[in-house]
Amino acid sequence: MSALLSVENLSVSYRIPGGRLRALRDVTLSVRRGEVLGIVGESGCGKSTLAAAMIGLLPQGATVEGGAIRLEGEDMRHLSPDRQRGIRGRSVAMVFQDPMTAFNPVLTIGRQVADFTGAHGQRLPQAEIAAMLERVGIPDPARCLGRYPHELSGGMRQRVAIAAALLMRPDVLIADEPTTALDVTMEAQIIHLLRALRADFDGAIVIVTHHLGVIAELCDRVAVMYAGEVVEEAAVDDLFHDPRHPYSRALLACDPAVVIPGTGHLPTIGGRVPDLSVLPAGCAFAARCPLADALCRTSPPRVAGQGRSVLCHRAATQVAP
Amino acid sequence: MTAVLDLRALSVDLPLGGFLTRARLPILCDVSLSVGRGESVALVGESGSGKTTLARAVMGLTPISGGSVFFEGQRVDGDLARLRRNAAMMFQDATASLSPRLTVGYLVTEPFRIHGLPLPDPAATARDLLARVGLPPAIARRYPHELSGGQARRVGVARALALDPRLVVADEPTAGLDVSVQAEVLNLMHDLRAGMGLAYLVITHNLALVRHVADRVVVLYLGRVVEEGPTARIFAAPAHPYTASLIAAEPKPDPRRRRADLAIRGEVPSVLRRPAGCEFHTRCPLVRDLCRSTPPDLVPVGDGRQARCHFADQRQDKQGERHAVDHR
Repeated sequence: MSALLSVENLSVSYRIPGGRLRALRDVTLSVRRGEVLGIVGESGCGKSTLAAAMIGLLPQGATVEGGAIRLEGEDMRHLSPDRQRGIRGRSVAMVFQDPMTAFNPVLTIGRQVADFTGAHGQRLPQAEIAAMLERVGIPDPARCLGRYPHELSGGMRQRVAIAAALLMRPDVLIADEPTTALDVTMEAQIIHLLRALRADFDGAIVIVTHHLGVIAELCDRVAVMYAGEVVEEAAVDDLFHDPRHPYSRALLACDPAVVIPGTGHLPTIGGRVPDLSVLPAGCAFAARCPLADALCRTSPPRVAGQGRSVLCHRAATQVAP
Repeated sequence: MTAVLDLRALSVDLPLGGFLTRARLPILCDVSLSVGRGESVALVGESGSGKTTLARAVMGLTPISGGSVFFEGQRVDGDLARLRRNAAMMFQDATASLSPRLTVGYLVTEPFRIHGLPLPDPAATARDLLARVGLPPAIARRYPHELSGGQARRVGVARALALDPRLVVADEPTAGLDVSVQAEVLNLMHDLRAGMGLAYLVITHNLALVRHVADRVVVLYLGRVVEEGPTARIFAAPAHPYTASLIAAEPKPDPRRRRADLAIRGEVPSVLRRPAGCEFHTRCPLVRDLCRSTPPDLVPVGDGRQARCHFADQRQDKQGERHAVDHR
């Protein structure tokens, strides 16, 4: 099946005093209908820039240096701002980490969601909004419509944000750290909700998170990002049971949730993410990589592997642990 | 041996807003717990369970309305100086807890100035403290905004360690950190405990963190202890359905172990409308009639544990069964 949303060789940089910060380098990714794609990595690796680029909401100061973002084959960058705005929300909708900041504190939920649907086409009646609120698991949806954002818990606000996004019947739903601000019990409920929605939502879902547990519970395919590049892309089971890139391995190994307790010490990844304004000549991970050799330090790796991609000189030669 | 920290039937209530009312809202009810020398105790629960209120009450930042706090065998009674000199707090938002206008070197030695203690060579002291948390001496000249999240957290730890405390109260010490940095902070906490015999009271909702740092766990629900005992035993066989639900709710970092259903439904009720009977009955998958009418007591359930559930004993026989319910 062909890609619904695809990013091809996308490079994005931010202007900073005295140079440019290369936030995304040559990123290629796609998501198909009915699929849940996870994008995982640590802070500063470019996850959120990629999510923003996918919905055409790159911040001021960001420059697309090359590549394309296609929705059903059409390059969104070549559309007029009006057309882009139409796509935003209606074809591609986004749910943010902290739903509190996404709402206006002085308007009721019902009013805001209605305004939101009005801004993206047709203003929907309250009954239809209430039905969607019920669908995302809000108890007593009629009462919820009359409440203000601060009267709802974090989990309930996130449900309202998801409901508002879904009312637009988008083709692609992008969720940027949708459970990060929530308790473990609310997180489980939102994961459960996204899974249930996926069954009757004929679009694609993109989850951006640093939480490996969320990826494992929810996604079909995963892209691991490091220093602005996709360093590994794999089916979720392959990534968790046979990670090929040394960074993916290190990331999985140091997750406090994975390690068997009793040892006292967790493995760590020594060193730091490189400065994105002065990138090293070779592989961006070489300085922290236990397998790096002279080639890794001098020449950037190319994507390797069949059926899954690994951006590593050593991926083909190393043996699985 | 006397415990470093001993809370006896601690209660905290807050005044309800309103001009003429004297009504007060109970936040913490009758919480007893102790932290032994060199011991690490985790306090877990969802938002609104009273975890942070408890930490604040221990440090004297929130007035207590009942019960008492004992520090190294002595009752803390208005005399907060001794407590604060020997117990330090690690805050959740490390960057925000550091004054933006002071250098790291000044910040880590500030506890000496606050307590009026001699500080003959501030630069050397700062260097030593930074070295203890694995930071290079050059960091002393930086300002908080120049630090990464992990570095700010380390500076927070260095500052907490300045006066050689016996107890560190850590409120969500790894919240907001990347996994590799979380691992570094956990390793640091582990080493400090081994090297200095520090005791920890760790407040968190992150169960992975609890497994790594805590000897014992105290589970709070609506300001009441619902289960308490050794970490390994609680994770292996939780006695309270709430504890079981929390453990089951944790996302598993393995796609082959995806949960088929949902461990817990609904949200923590408001403290303004505490349920009658067992306060967990509105969300409990195993609720029975008795639970709706009669509040259970916190009672021993074996293995050095206590649980506040009418049916905890019966459940110990059927371990391994998931207390899961379908979510509507």
